Amino acid sequence: MSAAGRPGVGWWLLILPAFLLLVAFYIAPIVQVLAISVTEPEPGFGNYERILTSSAVQRVIFTTLRICIITTALALLLGYAIAYAITLARPVARGWWILAVLVPLWISVLVRAFAWVTLLRRQGLVNNALIGAGLIEEPLPLVWNEFGIVVGMVHYMVPFAVLPMLASMREIDPRLLAAARGLGASRGEVFRRVFLPLSMPGVIASGVLVFIFSLGFYITPAILGGGKTLMVAEWISLQILDLIRWGLGTMMATMLVVAILVTLAIFSRVVDLRRIFGAGA
Amino acid sequence: MQSFQQDCVALALRRYRRGEVSRRTLLAGLAALGVAPFATDEARAQAARQLVMVNWGGIANQGFGRFYGEPFMAANTGWTVVQDSTGPSAGRIRSMVESGRVTWDMCDSSASSSNLLGRQNLVTKIDYSIVNRENVIGPGFALEYGAAPYSFSSVLAYDSAKFPQGGPTSWADFWDLRKFPGTRLLRRDAIGALDAAQMALGKDPANLYPLDLRACLRKVAELRRNAVYWNSGSESEQFMRTGEAVMGQIWHTRATVLEAETNGRIKFIWPQALLQAGIFVIPRGNPGGEMAQRLMASMLANVEPQVGLLQLLGNGPTNPRAAALVPQELRRKNPTDPENARVQVVLDGNWWGENYQQANADFIDTITG
Repeated sequence: MSAAGRPGVGWWLLILPAFLLLVAFYIAPIVQVLAISVTEPEPGFGNYERILTSSAVQRVIFTTLRICIITTALALLLGYAIAYAITLARPVARGWWILAVLVPLWISVLVRAFAWVTLLRRQGLVNNALIGAGLIEEPLPLVWNEFGIVVGMVHYMVPFAVLPMLASMREIDPRLLAAARGLGASRGEVFRRVFLPLSMPGVIASGVLVFIFSLGFYITPAILGGGKTLMVAEWISLQILDLIRWGLGTMMATMLVVAILVTLAIFSRVVDLRRIFGAGA
Repeated sequence: MQSFQQDCVALALRRYRRGEVSRRTLLAGLAALGVAPFATDEARAQAARQLVMVNWGGIANQGFGRFYGEPFMAANTGWTVVQDSTGPSAGRIRSMVESGRVTWDMCDSSASSSNLLGRQNLVTKIDYSIVNRENVIGPGFALEYGAAPYSFSSVLAYDSAKFPQGGPTSWADFWDLRKFPGTRLLRRDAIGALDAAQMALGKDPANLYPLDLRACLRKVAELRRNAVYWNSGSESEQFMRTGEAVMGQIWHTRATVLEAETNGRIKFIWPQALLQAGIFVIPRGNPGGEMAQRLMASMLANVEPQVGLLQLLGNGPTNPRAAALVPQELRRKNPTDPENARVQVVLDGNWWGENYQQANADFIDTITG
């Protein structure tokens, strides 16, 4: 760093090769592909017009947003409880907790989706158990619908929600909680007025991470949706590979990229993203 | 989306693993599907004398190689046919042709894709001075931009245990939820589903086309709450086997497996089934040039390999002389056996080629709505 705290020319030269490589082999091809959205079938913004005029395009977008928001909310709720428990656990127990969170992360998303099918289908474990216990007469529709998709996606996303929240919760000074108790706050108040506000940066980071990740989900909805729910990623692949409507497919891909960038831009105003994703730590 | 060919290969591999077919039969079938050993560097070196056939992977590699590639190589000394299992989706063919570096000569496609690709000038017209139209059973198997060395069918399969009073006999029954309650199963693709809907609407199967798109889509929407949709053949089999669906429109290859496996509990019927052409296309600017047309001619003309493929993967022959060579016990499973073909409806590849893009987009919109 130079005296003013700004990187000097020498530093920029060092990262130049990596930068050029990225531009030539990553950014340029992506821009080239996304550009198809304004050149096909004819030059102009006809494909983007569809967002306003085509109910099919709108439905795909709204379905995706709805599923992603529900998934994010549930993953945050479950993740928060887990992260909270881990933070308060004793060191040995904490190790086991973290292992339990990480193990599912290492199992293929495909395997997990099929496991949910086995559990949730009409003659699956859950329905059979409920029927056997005499609680229901007819099997419940647990899969081949949005419910099944949300179950599968939340299961996939919980570890991604836990980890950033855990990092942020462990930074909270436990003496603050003790001080609050000492000043007469009840347990609930300590959580509500001290712990929760202090853990909010982690919650937001998890939310952004999970939401962005959910937007591009492909396998889980394809397997658990029974073909009746179409999310953006699968819709794009359909346009590109089967229908050869590249203009429309790349339009949606562009929207996906824009949606992710906008989400990041909004939240970078609210919280310090660099710190959340580990750059400043 | 999984294509029929991809599924055939998956099915054959499973039978091989279970010991239901020998390795020799397996390889034979794969060869017929036009799937031969992978291209090596050495083979690439003599690329001028080589044709690349592209399939959907797995066992098709060996099957196509043996039944489509080998007969051609035997007749054209010095030429090799190699298999590539990248999966020649219409989108991939387009990106290859547009990039100007075409390495594929012959791609396993479909009637609708061949038309779609043809209209965008991405595939070569079939040269019918080289390829003999007489070698296929009907006009739908020799199209402008592709020809079919094999056939398959979308049949009505049902769980007979669920219908002790007697099963469905037509697509009208398929749509009759009152008489035959239970979840229906359709492919998540307009082709086949809309044709069946049109028959359920009462149109004469002999004059089915053009389909009344709007009416068919409304008919499909009727089933929406009571239906699930499959993407791959194994998925369709699983839906039927586990009882998730009581009745479905699935490929005949999967239906025959289910029928055998359940000792006839799951049945399928040929009447009103949709007979389809397994169309191959030649990408524009293919490296092998005119030799690809000769390979196509050879695939259509060689009768025994087509029967071999039926034995291995269940693909029906398309050569009119093939049906007579099929062993008696296999005839029930052959979609182009005269007995079975007579009661089926030949899916109109040309109509679908013209209408697929819009119809399929609307279909997907209807079932996901």
